[in-house]
Amino acid sequence: MFEIRTLAILIPALPLAAALVTAVLGKRVLRGASHWPSVAAIGLAWLASMALLIQVHRRASETAQQKGLAGYEQIIPVGWTWAAVDRAYLQSDLQPGAQQAGFRFRSFRIAIELRADPLTAVMLATVTFVSFLVAVYSVGYMHSDPGYWRFFTYINLFVFSMTMLVSVSNFLLLYVFWEAVGLCSYLLIGFWFRKPEAAAAGKKAFLVNRVGDFGFALGVFLLWITYGTLNFHDGADGTLGILGLGRLAGGPGLFVSGATGTAICLLLMLGACGKSAQLPLHVWLPDAMEGPTPVSALIHAATMVTAGVYMVARCSPLFVAGAGALEVVAVIGGLTALMAAIIAITQTDLKRILAYSTISQLGYMFLGLGAGTRVGITAGMFHLFTHAFFKALLFLGAGSVMHAMGGVIDIRRFGGLRRRLPVTHWTFLFGCLALAGLIPFAGFFSKDEILAAVHARAETHLLYEILYLAGIFTALLTAFYTFRAYFVTFHGAERIPEEAGEHAHESPRWMTVPLVILAIGSLVLGALFWWTEGFAHFLAKTPSLGYVTRYGWAATEGGSHLAVAVTSTLVAVAGIGLAWFLYPNRRQLVEQLARAADRVALYRLSAGKFFFDPLYLALVVRPLEGLARFSYAFDRYVIDTLVDGIGRMPVRLGASLRWSQGGMIKVYALGMVLGLLVLLGAMLW
Amino acid sequence: MSAPVVVLAPEIILVVVAATIYVAGAFARSRDVWVWLALGGFLSAAVAMVMLSVGAVGGPISVDGMAIYVRWLALGLGALLLLTSSRPSGQGSTPEYVGSLLLTVAGVMLAAASRELVLLFMGLELVSIPTYILLYLGRRDAASQEAATKYFFLSILASAMLLYGFSFLYGATGSTHLAVIGQRLASPEAGSLWLARAAMVLVLAGLGFKIAAVPFHFYAPDVYQGTTHANAALLSVVPKLAGFVALVRVVDVALEGARDDAWPIVLILAVATMTVGNAMALWQQNLRRLLAYSSIAHAGYMLIALAVSMATGFGTTTAWEGMAALWLYLLVYAVATVGTFAALSCLGRGAESVQSVEELTGLPWTGGRVRPVLAWTIGLFMFSLAGIPPLAGFWGKLAVFASALSVEGPVEGIRGWFIVLAVVGVLNAAVAAAYYLRIIGVMFFRRPLGVPRVREGTGGALAVAIFSAVLAVAIGLGPGIWFRDARRAAIIEAEAPRPLPMAAGGVQTADAGLRPGGEVGQGVGFGSGL
Repeated sequence: MFEIRTLAILIPALPLAAALVTAVLGKRVLRGASHWPSVAAIGLAWLASMALLIQVHRRASETAQQKGLAGYEQIIPVGWTWAAVDRAYLQSDLQPGAQQAGFRFRSFRIAIELRADPLTAVMLATVTFVSFLVAVYSVGYMHSDPGYWRFFTYINLFVFSMTMLVSVSNFLLLYVFWEAVGLCSYLLIGFWFRKPEAAAAGKKAFLVNRVGDFGFALGVFLLWITYGTLNFHDGADGTLGILGLGRLAGGPGLFVSGATGTAICLLLMLGACGKSAQLPLHVWLPDAMEGPTPVSALIHAATMVTAGVYMVARCSPLFVAGAGALEVVAVIGGLTALMAAIIAITQTDLKRILAYSTISQLGYMFLGLGAGTRVGITAGMFHLFTHAFFKALLFLGAGSVMHAMGGVIDIRRFGGLRRRLPVTHWTFLFGCLALAGLIPFAGFFSKDEILAAVHARAETHLLYEILYLAGIFTALLTAFYTFRAYFVTFHGAERIPEEAGEHAHESPRWMTVPLVILAIGSLVLGALFWWTEGFAHFLAKTPSLGYVTRYGWAATEGGSHLAVAVTSTLVAVAGIGLAWFLYPNRRQLVEQLARAADRVALYRLSAGKFFFDPLYLALVVRPLEGLARFSYAFDRYVIDTLVDGIGRMPVRLGASLRWSQGGMIKVYALGMVLGLLVLLGAMLW
Repeated sequence: MSAPVVVLAPEIILVVVAATIYVAGAFARSRDVWVWLALGGFLSAAVAMVMLSVGAVGGPISVDGMAIYVRWLALGLGALLLLTSSRPSGQGSTPEYVGSLLLTVAGVMLAAASRELVLLFMGLELVSIPTYILLYLGRRDAASQEAATKYFFLSILASAMLLYGFSFLYGATGSTHLAVIGQRLASPEAGSLWLARAAMVLVLAGLGFKIAAVPFHFYAPDVYQGTTHANAALLSVVPKLAGFVALVRVVDVALEGARDDAWPIVLILAVATMTVGNAMALWQQNLRRLLAYSSIAHAGYMLIALAVSMATGFGTTTAWEGMAALWLYLLVYAVATVGTFAALSCLGRGAESVQSVEELTGLPWTGGRVRPVLAWTIGLFMFSLAGIPPLAGFWGKLAVFASALSVEGPVEGIRGWFIVLAVVGVLNAAVAAAYYLRIIGVMFFRRPLGVPRVREGTGGALAVAIFSAVLAVAIGLGPGIWFRDARRAAIIEAEAPRPLPMAAGGVQTADAGLRPGGEVGQGVGFGSGL
């Protein structure tokens, strides 16, 4: 029952089954009880994930004794071959070691196979746990919504897709579920599709993601023609998988480097930028907040947006091989973190503040991955893990506020809510402390590890020195904007918008219990895993990360660095102090400060979100609209006229031949004889 | 009884039954008896085919794959045509009508089995002469008589051309046996081939009349329009079957030496036939006239397959695929065409059958139990003729165009020509869709104007329409076995005659004569796996 094989299949199968049941029965039969299959299935999937985590942990420890292996993995075939092409095109001159240029063929087989390794197990546990709590929360949040069953169908479809995304062992399948979570995201952002903003936001998210997915797809193509396989793992027949133990054990010589290696990484990174809302494709995430708040918490904070981080971590050997790729990842991460933090300072929509904060924190994760050391990558994943808890907590807390305020989410319109919403207030505070990175909350440990990893690289590389400073400054901004939102919302004089009506009270149990659980997680998980160092060591037994340990940048062991820890704590405290000083009561001072900052256009940049949207509108959307109009006109007036003309030609031809069919037998006979003579002439000449 | 006679038992049975009907018809004029007797004749001929199909021969008779396929096809189509025409308007002439029909079928079968010029010509005339009678018997009005006269004179002209060509062949080689002619023309001492080339053109012209290829097609629209639906059905399939089997025998086997010069002519004939047929069909209001042009256009598609087999050379895989495409196409074309005419012959106003496309307006919505069935079957046949998947016609077109695209012949630039040919074919198929879909549009998307009656005594025709529709769908959904059969039909015996086998030891099986017999099982490309 608790074999790895059973568990790994069960985890995606349960939400899929629940999605089908809810989709079929939800509208007519289940109605108000539509949440039961979902809550049960995701809960069971979480238990299965925990069991899987324990099993994988045990196996990984056993395997660690054996020498020569880069890590632990187990492949679980589902028994279905999705695609099989016998002779597929393959370019061989890019194959390392192959001398002859030209092309050859290799069979292209995509079998549905799941994998179990530490990285997958951690992702599964995180995803299913947060999903479970969000599903429970949604029972309270979404009740009496006309699309209740539809919501839970989508949520289950998402959990299925996301668990498959982290379980599959093949780039094409990764791409398939990458698209599937994108589809779920689209459906859930536009859940209230009658609201034009929601429909537009869904469309925007989908289209911006298409840009990234296009890059990802090209990356997958390039992987196929260079490596001749798309599997992560080694085949049973001895063929090397792209990230298989055999290739990893063979060292850097077996990875494609040079321009092709870098191109693969940059294309994959473009995909990650789309999904994980990094520069320059981050513009969809703030708009995605039009969806229901549980969706924002689950998909657009805790899980789906981290798919890019997961993918880059999984592919880290490729990034080590591609020269310059890691630096690009680090720069994108660092820049995104800083820019999003600057924007977050001036936003007034609570959910958008959190959205920019998510972008910023994802930037941190990429910064950690970009360090290219084992410590950096595990730190990035660790931050992914802790962030899932405290950001889901913050979003759900914001949802609770929004629930009480009758749907109002503008922080200028309410204040001093700490007495009205005590549970929400305390849990939100915990989330803020974790996000600000204050010891001993979870965010401190993970963020500290990232900064330490970057700091370690900074000793030899000027770029990382700059990125480290940016990271520290971002930490200051993070603490400031987080507590700005907190103080304005929960402190000062009590202000309640009229939309709230009689709703202005604490949310029901269905919603507060998940908040409390997540708050406890945000408090203890970071310290727990830091103390035992279990997380990093366990994760390092993933084959890809084991490779990085051996062949990546050498760096000092140990996840923390005292000077870094002290610095980041000090700036966090400074940020919190500044926010406490300014908000909510010194409005004039704030305005003066804003005006001062605007002398160098800083305030305008921040409030205008660095003007990415108008820029894209002018550079991409408008020209494309123009092209579309031109194409329409061309099709309408040129192509159609041509086609109509061509369509009339056979009719004209027929008309011009009608004389021949006059009915006179002698004419017919003459025609036949003339035809014969012409043919004879043609033949004998 | 010597071996060839035994092999010809099916044909002999048909002729004997026909003669019996002719003679006895004078004494008993009840039509059902003769229809049943004729059906019995077809059945016994089929039984004879089954019992003798393994049989063996030499001399002028050949029972190779093509002969077997065409003879079966002729028998099946004969039965369908008999049922379609089971109500000829001249009540009194049933025995003559049925007997003539039996003779035409016997003629096609004889032409298919012969590999000797005289026997071949006899088979073809055994198709033509009873056809004149059938046309006269169809209706008794002036238009019908005019049509019959036209067909008679022009058919004689075509026969004369064909016979003239045959005489050239005999003169050049001194033999009437096709394989011997082929050998002598191919031998180095044959010298100039101009006689053979002239014979090739004459044969193409003579047989071009039978298959209604441009410019020997002029009779078709007038004759189809003037005669009955049942006769039009017969004219659109039976002479085509005989004509193509004779073309393959003479042009592909006997005139192998002149083939390299002749394939461009066939290619041009194919283009002209398709294009003229389709372009003229666009203008037609009369149903039979429209279908006459449609049958001309389809002859063009089939000529593509013939050109493929000629250009790539007898014995190559591509030639074999081309020939298989030809036989598959002929089958799917015949099913849809006979089905259409059968369905149309069920409808009428009083004694008159339906004439124009407009009379079908709103047919499925005019009520009754039969009319909707007829409308849906006609719609299905139109889709099949237009080559829309998943119906039978699609596979025919696919096979033909695919064979044209796989040509890589010995001649430089040949591939380009066939790509052009395939493109022209596809464009023509698109044009053809316009008039097929117009019929569907008229039937399904317009309000009924008047209600055509379902004529009495047309149960047989209705059965043929339904059976053909089922067949068209069945071939469309499961083309594998039909491809297999068509590939078997592409096996042609081309060896020189041996002395007649005296004992079992001398028996030679049909498959052994020739090349790709071994490839039948493997199948090449699409279809085989479906």
